Amino acid sequence: MPGSTVFTSIAPYIKVILDGLPETLLLTFGGFGIGLVVGPILAFMEIYGPKPLARLAAAIEEVIRGIPLLVLMFIIYFGLPELGIRLTPLPAAILAIGIRSLAYQSQIIRSAVISIPAGQWEAALSLGMSPVGAFINIIIPQAFRIAIPGLVNQFTVDLKDTSIAYAIGVAEIFTQAVHVAQVILDYLPPLLFVGLIYFVLTYTASSLASTLYRRLAIPGLGAGGVVTV
Amino acid sequence: MVFEGLLIIFTKERYLDLFLEGLANTLILTASSFAIGFMLGLLIAVERLYGPRILRAALAAYVETIRGTPMLLQLFLLYYALPSAGIAMSALTAAILGMGFNSAAYQSEYLRASLRAVPSGQWEAALSLGMTKWQAIRSIILPIGLRSAIPALSNELVYLLKYSSIAYFLAVVELVYAGKIIGSETFAYLEMYTLIALVYLVFSLLITRSMKKIESKIMIPGLAVTAERT
Amino acid sequence: MSDIVLRVEDLWKSFGKQTVLRGVTFTVKRGEVKVLMGPSGGGKSTLLRTINLLVRPDRGRIELEGIEVFPRPAMKINKIRERIGFVFQQFNLFMHLTALDNVRIGLIKVKKLPPEEATRRAIEALQMVGITEDLWHKYPAQLSGGQQQRVAIARAIAMKPSIILMDEPTSALDPELVGEVLKVIEELARRRTTMLIVTHELDFALEAADEIMIMDQGVIVERGTPDEILRNPKHERTRRFIERILRRQERLNTLK
Ligand SMILES: Nc1ncnc2c1ncn2[C@@H]1O[C@H](COP(=O)(O)OP(=O)(O)O)[C@@H](O)[C@H]1O
Ligand SMILES: [Mg+2]
Repeated sequence: MPGSTVFTSIAPYIKVILDGLPETLLLTFGGFGIGLVVGPILAFMEIYGPKPLARLAAAIEEVIRGIPLLVLMFIIYFGLPELGIRLTPLPAAILAIGIRSLAYQSQIIRSAVISIPAGQWEAALSLGMSPVGAFINIIIPQAFRIAIPGLVNQFTVDLKDTSIAYAIGVAEIFTQAVHVAQVILDYLPPLLFVGLIYFVLTYTASSLASTLYRRLAIPGLGAGGVVTV
Repeated sequence: MVFEGLLIIFTKERYLDLFLEGLANTLILTASSFAIGFMLGLLIAVERLYGPRILRAALAAYVETIRGTPMLLQLFLLYYALPSAGIAMSALTAAILGMGFNSAAYQSEYLRASLRAVPSGQWEAALSLGMTKWQAIRSIILPIGLRSAIPALSNELVYLLKYSSIAYFLAVVELVYAGKIIGSETFAYLEMYTLIALVYLVFSLLITRSMKKIESKIMIPGLAVTAERT
Repeated sequence: MSDIVLRVEDLWKSFGKQTVLRGVTFTVKRGEVKVLMGPSGGGKSTLLRTINLLVRPDRGRIELEGIEVFPRPAMKINKIRERIGFVFQQFNLFMHLTALDNVRIGLIKVKKLPPEEATRRAIEALQMVGITEDLWHKYPAQLSGGQQQRVAIARAIAMKPSIILMDEPTSALDPELVGEVLKVIEELARRRTTMLIVTHELDFALEAADEIMIMDQGVIVERGTPDEILRNPKHERTRRFIERILRRQERLNTLK
C-alpha cells in the first residue's frame, strides 16, 4: 500500500481508536497514581522501618519486579475470582499496572533518598530540627528532585504497557486499533496511527518532565536515575 | 497454591509437555532477543558515537521511535502488518525479532552511556600509541565500556524475560500461553498463574545471580559501573 | 638522516576567541632533552598536544625527522603518532589492562610484533623504569601514582619512538613519589633519549635539560641553557617566574 494512502483507509475509524483514549489515560494515571502513593511508603519502610518490616518491603518489591505485568493482570482478573474477588477488566488492569508501578517507584524513591549525603541529616539535626522535620524540610525536597527523571521514565513505561490490557479486553487505544484492523482487514494503518498516539503521549510526558526538572534544578544536585525517555 | 499448580501439571502428560514447551519458548525468546538486541545495540551505540552524521541522526530516530511506542505494538506490526507487504514469518520468529529490535534500542542507550563514560584520557593514550580510531575503539574503549555496562545489560535480560510474555499475544506457546490453556481446561487459573509467576521470579533471580558472578569475574579494580536501570 | 628530530615553525592555535599558541618556533635535535616551563595556562599542554595532532593547529608547520606532520601529513596520522611517545600528567594507563599488557598492547596492535617478542620488549622496558616482576600483573588501580607513571613511561619507550613528549609527568603525584619518576626520566636523559618535557621541577630541569624554554601566553619568551636561564634571565617576568618556583621548592624542601 502506497504511503500517502496509509491513513485514508482508517479515516472513518479514527474516532473509534480515539474513543479508547480515556481508558488509556485512566489506566496510565490510575496505575501510576497507585505507585506514587504506595511506592514511597514501601521505600520508607525499607529505609527507616524496623528490620522485619524493611525485609518484608524489600521482598514485596523484589517479587513484584520479577513477575511480568501480563501475569499480574491474569492473576488479578482470572485468578482472584477463585477467591471470590471479581473485578471488571478496567479496575483489574489499573490494579495490575499500579502494583507493578509501585515496586519500581519504591526503588526509584529509595535510591534517591539514600543518595542524599548523611551530612544533610546531621546538619539538619544540628540545627535543632526533629527527625521528622529534617525529613520533610531537608530530605524530601532533595530526594524528589533527584527522583523526577526515574519517576517520569516509569510513567512512560506504565503508559506504553497499558496496551497489555488488551489481554483482558479493556477498550483502550491499542485494543480499539486492533478491532479496527480486524474490520478493515488491514493492520498497518491502525497500528501506525495508534503508534503515533503513544509516541506523542510519551514525548509530551518526557518534555514536560524535563521542563519541570530544569525549573526545579539546583546546581550541584544531580539526577539519581538516567532519563531514558 | 503454587504446590497445587505443580500438582495440576503432573495430572496429565499433555499439561507437563505444554508447560515445558512454554518454559523452553520463554527461554528461547529471552536469550535470542537479548543476543540480537546486544549485537544491534552495540552497532547502534558505536555508530551513534563514532559514525557519520547522517547515520547518527537516523539511528537516533530509530531509538526514539522504539522507546516511544509499546513493544506489543511493535510485535503486532511485524507479525500482522508485514504480511500485507509480502513479508511473513512464524509467530516465534516475529516475537524474537520484535523483542530483539526493541531491545537493541534500549541496549544501545546503555552501551552508549557506558562507552561515553570511558575517560577521554584512555582514548588519547590509545591514539598517542599510534592506534587507529577503530583499533582504539576495539581494544580500549569497548573492553572498558562493555564491562561497566554489565549491570545495565543484566537488568535488560531480566526485562526481556518478563516481556517475552508479550509473545502470548501472537499465540506463541510460551509460559503464559501454556498456563492459560491448562488453566482454562482445569479452571485452576489462580494456581497456574501463581506457579508461572514463581517460575519467572526464579529465573529472574537466577539471571541476576549469574550476571553478578560474571561481573565479578571480569570486573577490574578501579572500573566504575554506569548507573543501573530502574 | 637529519640531526633534527622535531621542527616546529610559527605554530598558531586558538580555541574560539582565545589564542593559545601565537607563533611558536623551535627544534629538538636527536639526543637532546628540552624542558618547557612557564606559568600555567601559557599553552604548554596545547603545544605538546598539537605535535602529535591530538589537537589540530590552525597554522604553522610541524616536521618529524624531515617528514611533514602539519599542515599536510606525509603519512597516516596514526603512523606519525607511533613515532612520538607521549607521557600524560594523569598517566592514562589503560584501566582494563595489567601493567605488562599496558606496555605490550602498542607493540602488538600497532607494531604487530609477535606476542612473545612483545612480551620480551615490554619486560625490558618495565625493568628499565624499575617496575619489578611482582607488579607486572597488577591493574593500574592497584599501583601507586609513581608506579603508574613509570609504567606509562615504559609504555612510551617500548615503542622506541623518535621523540618522547612529557606533559608535567610528576604534577599529579604525591610529593614523596615525585623522586622515583624523576630518577627514571633522568636516566632516560643520560641515555640520550630525545625528549621534550613540560615540568615545574626546576632542580630536575637544571640537572637534565640541554635547553630550557620558557613559554608564556602562547609564545616562547626565553630560551637557553639552564645556566643562562637561571643566572641572567632576559625578561623580568621570567625572573619572577623562576623566583616563584625556587621559593616553592624551598618550602617543599623545608617540609621534607
Ligand atoms: N580543548 C580546549 N578547549 C578550549 N580551551 C582550551 C582547550 N585546551 C586548552 N585550552 C585553553 O588554552 C589555554 C592554555 O592551556 P594549556 O595549553 O593547558 O596551558 P598550560 O599547559 O601551559 O597550563 C588555557 O586557557 C586553556 O583553558
Ligand atoms: Mg598543562
